[in-house]
Amino acid sequence: MKLVIQDISKRYRKDKYGLKDYSLTIENGILGLLGPNGAGKSTLMKIVATISQPTQGSIELDGHNILNEPDYIRRILGYLPQDFGVYANLNAYEFLEYIAAMKGVGGPGLRKRVEALLEGVNLTESAKMPIGTYSGGMKQRIGIAQALLNDPKVLIFDEPTVGLDPEERMRFRNLISDLAQNSIIILSSHIVSDIETIADEVAIMQSGTLVTKGTQADVVKQVEGKVFETVLESSRLTDFKAKHLVVNTSRQKEQVWVRYISDGPAEGSALSPATLEDAYLFLTHKNN
Amino acid sequence: MGAFYKIIISDYKQRTRSYAFLVTLAISLYAAYSFVPAPNAAYTTVRIGNYLGVQNAAWIGYVTAMMTSVFLSWIGFYLVSSGIKKDIDTGVGAIVATTPISNFNYLLAKTWSNFLVLLSIIACVFLMSITLFFLRSGAYPFQVTQFILPYLLVTIPSVFFTAALAVVAEVFLHRYTILMNIVYFFFFCALLSWQITVPSSFDVIGNKTVTTAMQQAVFQQYHEHGQMVSMGFIFGAKTHFHYFVFNGIQWTWQIIISRIIFVCFGFLLVFTSSTFFHRFEIEQKSKEKKKTKSAEIIPAAKPLRDIKLSALPPITPAYGILPFIRTELLMLVRKGPRWLWLINLGGMVALSLAPLTEAHQLVLPVLWFLQVGRWSDLATKEKTNRVHYFTYASYKPLSRLLFSQIIAGILMALALASPLLVRYMIGLQFLPILGIIMGGMFIVFFAVALGILSGGKKLFEILFFLFTYANVERVPFLDYYGGMNRGVNYTLLITGLIGFLACLSFMLRKIEISRV
Repeated sequence: MKLVIQDISKRYRKDKYGLKDYSLTIENGILGLLGPNGAGKSTLMKIVATISQPTQGSIELDGHNILNEPDYIRRILGYLPQDFGVYANLNAYEFLEYIAAMKGVGGPGLRKRVEALLEGVNLTESAKMPIGTYSGGMKQRIGIAQALLNDPKVLIFDEPTVGLDPEERMRFRNLISDLAQNSIIILSSHIVSDIETIADEVAIMQSGTLVTKGTQADVVKQVEGKVFETVLESSRLTDFKAKHLVVNTSRQKEQVWVRYISDGPAEGSALSPATLEDAYLFLTHKNN
Repeated sequence: MGAFYKIIISDYKQRTRSYAFLVTLAISLYAAYSFVPAPNAAYTTVRIGNYLGVQNAAWIGYVTAMMTSVFLSWIGFYLVSSGIKKDIDTGVGAIVATTPISNFNYLLAKTWSNFLVLLSIIACVFLMSITLFFLRSGAYPFQVTQFILPYLLVTIPSVFFTAALAVVAEVFLHRYTILMNIVYFFFFCALLSWQITVPSSFDVIGNKTVTTAMQQAVFQQYHEHGQMVSMGFIFGAKTHFHYFVFNGIQWTWQIIISRIIFVCFGFLLVFTSSTFFHRFEIEQKSKEKKKTKSAEIIPAAKPLRDIKLSALPPITPAYGILPFIRTELLMLVRKGPRWLWLINLGGMVALSLAPLTEAHQLVLPVLWFLQVGRWSDLATKEKTNRVHYFTYASYKPLSRLLFSQIIAGILMALALASPLLVRYMIGLQFLPILGIIMGGMFIVFFAVALGILSGGKKLFEILFFLFTYANVERVPFLDYYGGMNRGVNYTLLITGLIGFLACLSFMLRKIEISRV
């Protein structure tokens, strides 16, 4: 499968863009979207999910323009929005069957599929309770289950790990790695480590534009040789921050350990291997 | 004081930037334009017996001020009576509760904010009234005081009182908004009736002082005493009316103080209600109760398991709408308190046993009105529950989902009316059957269209109540279900309206889907 996003813009006011001239090609595998708040990640995902219309540009899935034929992607789409809700007075079975009807999924196997998914997200025991009584994490699992109802070929996960504990996050990552064999998966997260461990490719966004896109190695390469670590006296930290892009600090009595990005090392610094988080902070900072 | 002012202004800004405010403003301006009928118009708004005022500055100023006072004392309440509810719904209330602001200051800020919203409308209507003067009264001199004084002393105090009353009503009835709206309607009717019998000083709306002065002007010019005051949009030929000159009134200190007293009374009501204000604790308590229940009943959540999608049972494409209709019906049935179904059953028994005319004209509209809470969010619940991300991204959301919601709503209306339908069938009376079916369709389409248009349920709730009240009072003009009107023309009219509402609903939803 191939999803081609070509020169997409979403303009709200004259000079206010949610996305600007955004182009991207995605093939089977996992694309991780990284970017600060307001970068346009959710806007891009909503446009691909056909619930928001761009001001200009085109999106083609296997040659079909989904802006003109939204139902082409809707049949094979699994979408987990960032801020979704549920009908509080339906139970998990009823809600998932309702969503299945929306997706055009039915037949005698539906009930079994719903049961299997509920088992997978470990909600079988509470499946007959109204969803209004669920905790935030349980609702998030219902969201994950609904995204998988229709054997999706395009999966869009907007901040999917919100509300999940570390073990659940690990299992979720396993799940989408499994799905990525035959599907396009677009995943956004504020947690760089979530993207780092599973994304085949990473796209960094800022202010509605694409800053960079490539494999993790390609992205990390842009900051290689620029990441250093040093130990300073605490009193020098403020001055140091003014001169360098500090990405991490750790206090140790009177001293402070500092990880920073710079074209050249400060005195007493040691070169450190770059990570995706370093690259992300470097590229978004550079763009500012 | 600065912080208090900022609270009021911020609240005012977020409320005036709403779609509902713009709609009300537009309606108010149109209403203001119609408050002073053109000389050839086939209706009157204020008249004293068979006498109408010449369209000088005083007449236009006082008539528009009085009409605005009545209009905003009624509609204004519905516009502003959700300030506290919004804080509850958005969660801002929980933050407010943790700040040092006192209950009284919070409620007072809400009152001022309500008042400023209504005052903005008054300002626009005021300007419209002056424009009307220059359009209609070329021969009479312009006297700005004839505009300022009535707005200042008639409209503003009554509107302030309404703003305060909206806050007080929210304090005591915040959980029962439909009941609050109904109670206020009857309270407002009582105020209008009360106006006739009480002295001017006790008239909250403030019109009696003016209408009494108008009666005196008629008496002085025509020696006609005790002419009845008529207010409202009264249709009929104006050829037999006489014209008198109204030059405004002398505002005595007694009258001015009586108006100020109503403003003070508004403050007093807010102050008193602050003692009973829940400070968002009731909401929190109810949430805690729900959470406790869930914590007790639901076993501790276990972590996600490994899901192998390839191992899941295969899916079958199914693009029918029956599962939607079933779930929509399920949600309609489950909505609201269970005891309401006992009343519904009682209503259905009444439809079976009451005399046919009463069952159709009285029981049916009331029984349908009891479902107002179920129908009012029929097509808006996706947004309020934030499920629209799923529904709008689903396969053919317009032709499948919206259509199913409408079908479910109509099925419910007809199921409730079924005893009456059966009785008519037995009597082989098909026109009333058609009327009921059309009525059920109309009210559901009306709910859907108004819901999507306004983005909420309040507009439908208020209008549905007015329709029901008018039908119980046997006003044929608002008969939407064939209780009083039967025949081909009526059926065609309702069919046309249903068609219009259907087109409007689908068109608006289509736009809405593309603009998430």
